[in-house]
Amino acid sequence: MSVFMDLNLRPTAERSTLQSLLDTAAHLGYSAVAINYVFEPTSKKKQEIPKPTPTSELFDKLPTVQGRSRPIRVLNRLTIVASDASHFRPSAPEFRSFDLLAIHPTSEKLFHAACMTFDVDIICVTVTEKLPFFFKRAPVSGAVERGLVFELCYVPAIRDSTTRRYTIANAVCLLESCKGRNVILSSGAEKPLELRGPYDIANLGLLFGLSEGDAKEAVSSTCRSAVLHGETRKTASGTVYTKRLCTGPAHQACTDSTHQQEVTDPGSEAADEPAAKRARPAPAVTDSTAPAVTDSTAGQ
Amino acid sequence: NMENLQQTSRNLLVCDQSSLRHRKCRLSQQVQQHHFNHQVSLLLPECGSAPPPLDAALRSFSSSYLLRKLPLHELLDTHFLQDAVYQGSVYGLSYRSRIDEDTCVALLPSGQLVLSLDKDVYERLGVEGKPSRFNQRANSRYVVTVNLTDSSMAPGGRGYQRLLTGLKSRVQLQTDFLLSHHPGGGEALKALLSRYDWTEHRPQVSSRLLTNLPCPTPLTSDLPSCDPHSFLEWLGAVEAEVSCDNESTSFLSTLVCPEPRAVLSRALRVRVSGLLLPQDVYRLIEELRRCWDGRGTASWAALTVQGFADSPVSWGSREHGFLKGGENFYSLLLCSDHSYWLCMGTGAHDGCPP
Repeated sequence: MSVFMDLNLRPTAERSTLQSLLDTAAHLGYSAVAINYVFEPTSKKKQEIPKPTPTSELFDKLPTVQGRSRPIRVLNRLTIVASDASHFRPSAPEFRSFDLLAIHPTSEKLFHAACMTFDVDIICVTVTEKLPFFFKRAPVSGAVERGLVFELCYVPAIRDSTTRRYTIANAVCLLESCKGRNVILSSGAEKPLELRGPYDIANLGLLFGLSEGDAKEAVSSTCRSAVLHGETRKTASGTVYTKRLCTGPAHQACTDSTHQQEVTDPGSEAADEPAAKRARPAPAVTDSTAPAVTDSTAGQ
Repeated sequence: NMENLQQTSRNLLVCDQSSLRHRKCRLSQQVQQHHFNHQVSLLLPECGSAPPPLDAALRSFSSSYLLRKLPLHELLDTHFLQDAVYQGSVYGLSYRSRIDEDTCVALLPSGQLVLSLDKDVYERLGVEGKPSRFNQRANSRYVVTVNLTDSSMAPGGRGYQRLLTGLKSRVQLQTDFLLSHHPGGGEALKALLSRYDWTEHRPQVSSRLLTNLPCPTPLTSDLPSCDPHSFLEWLGAVEAEVSCDNESTSFLSTLVCPEPRAVLSRALRVRVSGLLLPQDVYRLIEELRRCWDGRGTASWAALTVQGFADSPVSWGSREHGFLKGGENFYSLLLCSDHSYWLCMGTGAHDGCPP
């Protein structure tokens, strides 16, 4: 098992709400969260993809996770709600500033394309209304093989009893096709009161049809593999990555704000995701005190 | 699969019935093998205060020491090995680390060092280990067990060097650590205590007098009037101070005391908590036994020992995990004729108690 993560926190205009949302998440025991910026392109006018605010600007202080000694890790995520493939340009430079990319397909065609070909990490499943399409085994298995995860949000179920019915129905429908693999449960919370603890969400997973072990994985290990999948997008299949070289006392400030914990080994974890992007043996690990450009060669 | 919703997580209960006078009584092994005890709770019926010898036994549990931010390679320090590991028994457990999220470390009195590592740390450490028994689909947790008293782990040996390099340079593991030593106490640990921030923890003793307590009767171990599950439910309710009245107006608890029942006018519940050594627990059991040799006012006593929820091992070196709960405990019902009922319970991610 790995640490608990909630990969869908919705920022509102108020910074203080986001700070208290983060404090609550840390208090509940989540070790990593992702701030989700939602982008709904319409064909009418050209919209700009939102830029994520750097974590250091958003939060004065990162709270420590309850029961552990590390501060909470904050990632940035972009969700694209779309019904047409033309809205998604995978090589757009704006996408590079996000740690996680998600797509919320509203049509069957886009769902199929997203599962089989799109370079995303998370596929969101509608929970607030009747499913616009059915889940077919073929695209779902294709997505599972590529290392994508399917996301179910639980906050709409807390807010309203009608959406609660849709959430459970849609979740059961998804789980029939994917057999409990590669599913993550996240909140979609905008307010601190909407968050629930990881063990409670694992119990909610039982209602959706996950087994006990799978439900706990849905808030821990599967989230971890989604995050690592996101890292491989930045790093040329997870074997090469570059870091800005800084010298002197300013080098601590130069380290990437998203790599707050010790930098893990993207190469070996890319092999985690089932059959996705077979990486060569792990490159050497750097930590933030050794400024260098690493490249992939032999293992450790 | 809606039927699954009616089932709770798997748990195991092993019940043993015997007498302290019996030649092949295994109680001593079962108690000694449960290395990491967090809380001992004693229920004495018809008692207002603990008899002096029992009170003395309760208050004489050994202290433990909490070291802050101990780098784990220090557990391989030669002075520590000489003074603590090779002499007597050292009990060590990582503090504030969660067995299902973080790295957890345990140092067993037999000299075994058990490291429960997540995948990233294990792959970087470079020491051979086994995947956890409780891994779900992919191997996300690994357990490295090293015997520090083995000849290959003698300082300077190959195994020792490999682990030391791993812990010093490849993966600098550092954690708060609870340590205790029998029989040396703080003296044996001074190699480490002198170098790191530490606090001593004396086990805390608290007691509470309960009145008008319904209780199953008769409580003897050879003619059990109720089955172990019901007895444990009742005992748990008493410990947690949950009412067993099952009033129609109360929606909090539907627990009931098993029938036939009697009402005790008073009972004493004493609790000790800290890092408690199994030797001290067994000494308490012996003291309880001696209490009956003198006088026979009470006919039974119940002792419950809780283990740590985040310990990598439960009994012996059996792996312990945390799915929905990390229980590993045993309850002992000791009767005045020296017979007893021992119920050992573990949770979903656990092996079978001895």
